[in-house]
Amino acid sequence: MNRRVVVTGLGPVSSIGIGIDAFTTALRAGRSGITPIASFDTSGFLTDRAGEVHEFAPDRLLTRLDPAEWGRSSLFAAAAARLALTDAGATDVPDRSDRVGVCMGTTSGESQVVERLTEHWLAHGYPGTPQRLARQLPAGRVAEAVSRELGLTGPALTVSTACSASNYALGYAFDAIATGEQDYMVVGGADSVCRWAHAGFYRLGALAAERCAPFDQDRAGVITAEGGVALFLESLDSARARGARVYCEVLGYGLTCDAKHPTAPDATSVARCMRLAHQDAGVKPDEVDFICAHGTATPANDTAEYAAVREVFGDRLPPMSSVKSMLGHTMGAASGFSALAGALAISAGFLAPTINHVTTDPAMTGLDVVPNESRPEQPRIVQVNGFAFGGNNAITILGRLA
Amino acid sequence: MTVTTDPPTSDFALGVSGWGVLSPYGLGADEFTAGLRTGRDGTVDAAALTDEAVPDPRAYGLAGFRARDHLGRKGTSFLDRRTAFAVLACGQALADSDLVVGDDNRDRVGVVLGTNVGSLQSTSDYSRDTLVQEKPYLVNPILFPNTVLNCAAGQAAIWHQLRGVNTTLAGGGMATLAGLRYAMTVLRRGRAQALLVGAVEEYTPQMAWAEHATAAAPTTVGGEGGAVFLVEDAAAMRAAGRDPVAEIIAVDLGHTGDRGDLATALADRVRRVLAQAGVAAEDLATVVTSGAAAEERALDEVVGPDADRVAISDLAGNCPTAAGALQVAAVLAHHRGAPEHDGCLSLIVASTVDGAVGAAVLKGAGRAARDHR
Repeated sequence: MNRRVVVTGLGPVSSIGIGIDAFTTALRAGRSGITPIASFDTSGFLTDRAGEVHEFAPDRLLTRLDPAEWGRSSLFAAAAARLALTDAGATDVPDRSDRVGVCMGTTSGESQVVERLTEHWLAHGYPGTPQRLARQLPAGRVAEAVSRELGLTGPALTVSTACSASNYALGYAFDAIATGEQDYMVVGGADSVCRWAHAGFYRLGALAAERCAPFDQDRAGVITAEGGVALFLESLDSARARGARVYCEVLGYGLTCDAKHPTAPDATSVARCMRLAHQDAGVKPDEVDFICAHGTATPANDTAEYAAVREVFGDRLPPMSSVKSMLGHTMGAASGFSALAGALAISAGFLAPTINHVTTDPAMTGLDVVPNESRPEQPRIVQVNGFAFGGNNAITILGRLA
Repeated sequence: MTVTTDPPTSDFALGVSGWGVLSPYGLGADEFTAGLRTGRDGTVDAAALTDEAVPDPRAYGLAGFRARDHLGRKGTSFLDRRTAFAVLACGQALADSDLVVGDDNRDRVGVVLGTNVGSLQSTSDYSRDTLVQEKPYLVNPILFPNTVLNCAAGQAAIWHQLRGVNTTLAGGGMATLAGLRYAMTVLRRGRAQALLVGAVEEYTPQMAWAEHATAAAPTTVGGEGGAVFLVEDAAAMRAAGRDPVAEIIAVDLGHTGDRGDLATALADRVRRVLAQAGVAAEDLATVVTSGAAAEERALDEVVGPDADRVAISDLAGNCPTAAGALQVAAVLAHHRGAPEHDGCLSLIVASTVDGAVGAAVLKGAGRAARDHR
């Protein structure tokens, strides 16, 4: 069996908008979600901005989960999944719930729960570890929260391949539906802002103070961020049979591992990943109309990403923008948000911009980052890049339904 | 709920070509097999693992384990215990297999490792540093990757130069079955030639107390270790004249979806996985559970009393992530160097307290230890 796979529902819980309408409007307008950090005390830190989802009210979005029993990342995932299911008009699908699988990505799982536990241990020692927090700890709950919120009895996988995890999830879902293992998949990713990531990125020299400016000559790094994102996937036949609106088709994906360095990206491995994705999708580089970049705005990532794109695409570079300029780095959700930008490029006819852009890095000749303002275009094929610590590269290819 | 029929998935089986295991019985498949056969108590004094107070004085621990003793001094000083376990177990599995990994195939050999929260000690210590250092940002940048859940799989790839699919799956006690299910899909789709699949976990006071506090486990004795299996397309192995040491015929995963109880959901999955594997419940020689009471209830309902039942918590303590991998290792050990067990069928079941359930059917071959060499 080799079924075609389409995206029929989108669910963003982001710093620039919750729900697909608000998110689309913000993405098109190039809105920034970066604000002063509210979730932890930033005293003593030299930088205090992040992409937090201040408006997240899980009790308003969730139907079945009790927010008191779940960590923030799991709640992001479940809320995003609920939104995606509703957006897909697939609220009747859970009647066949065993045929719906879940695959969600995360970088740090319930990082805020780890921080609360750590604070408790520091203040009170290990005995008396709060049961409520201990139960919220497993990272696998990020997918399990989706299963419980939507009442799904199919498999629930949490992919924890750091910042490319959502793309991994999307790829796995593509395979699961294509082979007939599942009929529907809810996929995406979630992570929460935490102190230790803020500190760690700063000490790596990879944290920007004010704004995230991917591919800019003065780029200074990431802004840590959070959120949840979900996509509802089904076979093309299923979507047609129920008259569902189709955002885009998933054409294929590629995975590679650098096997070189725990944090530094490797352009050669990234280029190989692109070629694998193109081959899997049956597309040639000159057919790719738009790239949703990983684009973290660290000097290392953007240099490697540009080099890989140049190696694979030659002199004709498609426009390549990074939603991290607006959202910050949402970690395990990041490539899911990029996939949303890709799906919306195809369905709503605009390329999301790279905001905060002043001057393209002069080493990156021929690069069009879609600076500062979104651009009306009708791309047919979109490439979504996701890279990560651990050298975990994942690239998905989305296409207009032909 | 509409009743649907399962798609045929049993047309693809995983062949295990080698495996590695880290347990209190020792490091390696032979040591584990020997330990299982003697049935000796694997617990050690927890004081041999940590200076901190812990909830139980005993632990299924790898007392005296030092990464540098097995991996050398170079590059090991910043590996956390879990990552060192992963690197070592992957190396053992590669060494136990007849698959030759070289420049012609290293792009197509990968790693799929299960975890619960990564290294809780690494993340918690990092978080702690933001609270106790003079400035909150004075954390050690070199240790930052250790806070990310995919650290172990990434390091295993670096250490063994494996550039294929590299995936980390978080699922605690379900993570190994999830990895095997994932590997089936990935290999079946031709995305890799061979995958090191398994899970490892470290004993730390943080995790010991966190597991203890959940009050969900059948035992208070902590544990650590894990296992890694090199899996390939079983049919392709045979076509190349290579006999797998075991075949994983079917793996099926599900969830209660908060719609029913765990035992019912698991019983349903066991029925499905047996159907996919074309195996009758009475044909099962062995069933390995993670030790949860709900699993026993499901098995009473579906499998009945005839098959031998092993609860892995008796070997791994309260360490679900390692236990999930040791469940598979226990079946392989049953067959290792024991051709009289040829063709025996085993069932593995696992679950999480939040409702994930899974089951796998394995068929062991009697290949003697390393007799393919």
